[in-house]
Amino acid sequence: MPAPNPDTLKLAKDFSRPSIVFGVARKAGTGTIYLACSDFKVYAADITAAKFEPKELYGHESYATSVALAGTTLVSGGYDGKLMWWDTAAGKVARTTDAHAKWIRKVVASPDGKFVASVADDMACKVWDAGTGKLVHDLRGHKEKTPHDFTSMLYAVAYSADGSLLATGDKVGHVAVWDAKTGAQVGACEAPVMYTWDKQQRLHSIGGTRSLAFSPDGKQLAVGGMGKVGNIDHLEGKARVEVFDWKAGKQTAEFPGDKFAGLVNRLAWAPDGSWLLGAGGAGEGFLLFFDVAAKKTLRQEKVMMHVHDVDLSPDAKELVCVGHNKITVHKLG
Amino acid sequence: MPAKRTFCGSPEHAVNRRAFLGAAGAAGATLAADMTQLDALASPAVNDALKKTQKRVILLWLAGGASQLETWDPKPGAPTGGPFRAIKTDVPGVAISELMPKMAQRMKHTCILRGLDTKNGDHGSAAVTMMRGRRNEAAIRYPDLGAVLAREMGRPDSKVPDYVSFYTQTEGRSMAPGDAGFLGARYAPMDLTTNNVPDFIRRLADITDLDHKERSDLRDVLGKQFAAGRHSETLGSQNEAYERVRGLMSSEKLFDVTQEPQKVRDRYGPGQFAEQTLIARRLVEAGVPFVRVGRAWWDSHGQNFETHQEMVPELDHVMATLIDDLKDRGMLDDVMIVTLSEFGRTPAINASLGRDHFASAWSSTITGCGIKGGSVYGKTDANGNKVVAEHVDAGSLFATIYEALGINPEKNYYYGSRPIPLVNPGIEPIKAVLK
Repeated sequence: MPAPNPDTLKLAKDFSRPSIVFGVARKAGTGTIYLACSDFKVYAADITAAKFEPKELYGHESYATSVALAGTTLVSGGYDGKLMWWDTAAGKVARTTDAHAKWIRKVVASPDGKFVASVADDMACKVWDAGTGKLVHDLRGHKEKTPHDFTSMLYAVAYSADGSLLATGDKVGHVAVWDAKTGAQVGACEAPVMYTWDKQQRLHSIGGTRSLAFSPDGKQLAVGGMGKVGNIDHLEGKARVEVFDWKAGKQTAEFPGDKFAGLVNRLAWAPDGSWLLGAGGAGEGFLLFFDVAAKKTLRQEKVMMHVHDVDLSPDAKELVCVGHNKITVHKLG
Repeated sequence: MPAKRTFCGSPEHAVNRRAFLGAAGAAGATLAADMTQLDALASPAVNDALKKTQKRVILLWLAGGASQLETWDPKPGAPTGGPFRAIKTDVPGVAISELMPKMAQRMKHTCILRGLDTKNGDHGSAAVTMMRGRRNEAAIRYPDLGAVLAREMGRPDSKVPDYVSFYTQTEGRSMAPGDAGFLGARYAPMDLTTNNVPDFIRRLADITDLDHKERSDLRDVLGKQFAAGRHSETLGSQNEAYERVRGLMSSEKLFDVTQEPQKVRDRYGPGQFAEQTLIARRLVEAGVPFVRVGRAWWDSHGQNFETHQEMVPELDHVMATLIDDLKDRGMLDDVMIVTLSEFGRTPAINASLGRDHFASAWSSTITGCGIKGGSVYGKTDANGNKVVAEHVDAGSLFATIYEALGINPEKNYYYGSRPIPLVNPGIEPIKAVLK
């Protein structure tokens, strides 16, 4: 079935939140969403309920930055370096894992729900057995220091649609592609424009690879971030997406941005591959739709908050965006 | 006997070092005859002499405004607290950001002032205020901290500069220039902006030493003729500045970090801030009263946490290393380290995950040299929005620094016939943090 046309995108609902919402995961086919928030807590909420009332499930010891659903297990990661495993059926924390030595940036579940991958600023991507919580792989392919001798950061991780590949992306724009089963690195891409080092004016950096998404056929890898920044005090670089033939390590499409400034924090492909969605923000947020094959921007829509994460339903007809003190629900088609 | 090479390579400097160390007695004078290693100054006998003569200050100027919440006054768990945790320090009951694990083990040497309330959130004018301890008046340009200390702690016969300022980055540099104000050029900083070694310090190759000296003598005669019958502090200061030129020309090696043993350089680590801080240590060890190391640029309106995740560990490492180095050399009681910005950052986190300018409740630190290590002065509320106890303004911070250095903050300078105290009338030092 063809994916809905991005021109049909409409805001259906929005909810205010007292905290920053960094991560969202949705129970497929339901209105239940799980939220990772800056108040350290993880919540469950129903976006179809008459009254939107998020319920606190449990808390981390710092910002909860990401959530993923692996079957009936909700896994969250936080700046405390911990993964917390919530049994959604039993309604209790199944385990807590001291997963990383530094801040966890992103957690994703494999499409079959059997594995969970986490990335953190210890520059490790760790793959976990979703059922037992045991460590399966500790993938090391990102340098701990930037070329300018500051600590680097590992922001992004994504599974391919068939679960056979993992991609990870770091601060300096280095992207590694891994065989999810063996843990062997099978490819690499470079997106250096997404890293701005200011030697002359400010002597620090900004940017990084903030989002990754494989095309449905697994052949292309989209990388999101921000273009070069003049004044790195602000997120004033243009929202930027690059697409790679990851096997060749070659860029095949580039969307340097012409409307919105800020970071592309999340990427998602339409199920038929007809478009690619980028979501993110700076002082305000945006949704960007690209026709990658035609190398054309289809739509650029302002959103009422800096978007940190989205959940695109399997049929691409509903989009939940979470971010700075807000949650929105958009309809397509 | 040929003159032995001094650490700056100049026979003039050897004489000067000898004069300086004369105050230290025979032991110091003996050492002065062989200054091929700067480490010679680490000798207890020499450092006893330093204690009796002069104090020194290294100002780590965190330009652009470092966040107090990600450094010295963390609020973990507060809505404004950000993601970083607080960690315990070697001082019971005192916690700082987890981004500073090395300083956490050295807080017994450092005083945190958490109650800075300086009212001004504008980069330029706030920097001017925080460099002077007060706002300029319409008719008076006050000298900044470095200029006052150059005047109070510099020695008339010194061949090293009295005030050195490193500020390599371009952002904010023009907002916080070193400025001697009404004290005049004699106390103006040697500004290093493009290179760690002063530009134009060498005699031009096409001028002989004799030519250079004769030109200097001629300028001196003309200057004195011009000054005859005129009474001006600024004019006198100008003439003194010229009189020091030949001495300063011989101080080049002080700025050469490669003169340091590799193990010392490795200890400070790579990077501009580390190198300049190491040079600052070399300078104060050689007798420079005041060195500012400008570390720009902390103005994190977007991605505050990423910026501080990058910059605070560098500050943590460099500051901790400097403390260790001074301590190892027996100099920590005589050299003060100050961390200061023009302001701090808002507790509120904006949509770009940034923090904006904030001058109502922020932090500074003072280490060594007459300050009670391990002390904390000032308390902010649970979210860090305001000072709830022990306010500190720019004047009381400066009065405290002066008092700790043995300088009377009420001492007057004269601008014409008008007496100008070092701090505005009624301002008191913070007794609680003074030894």
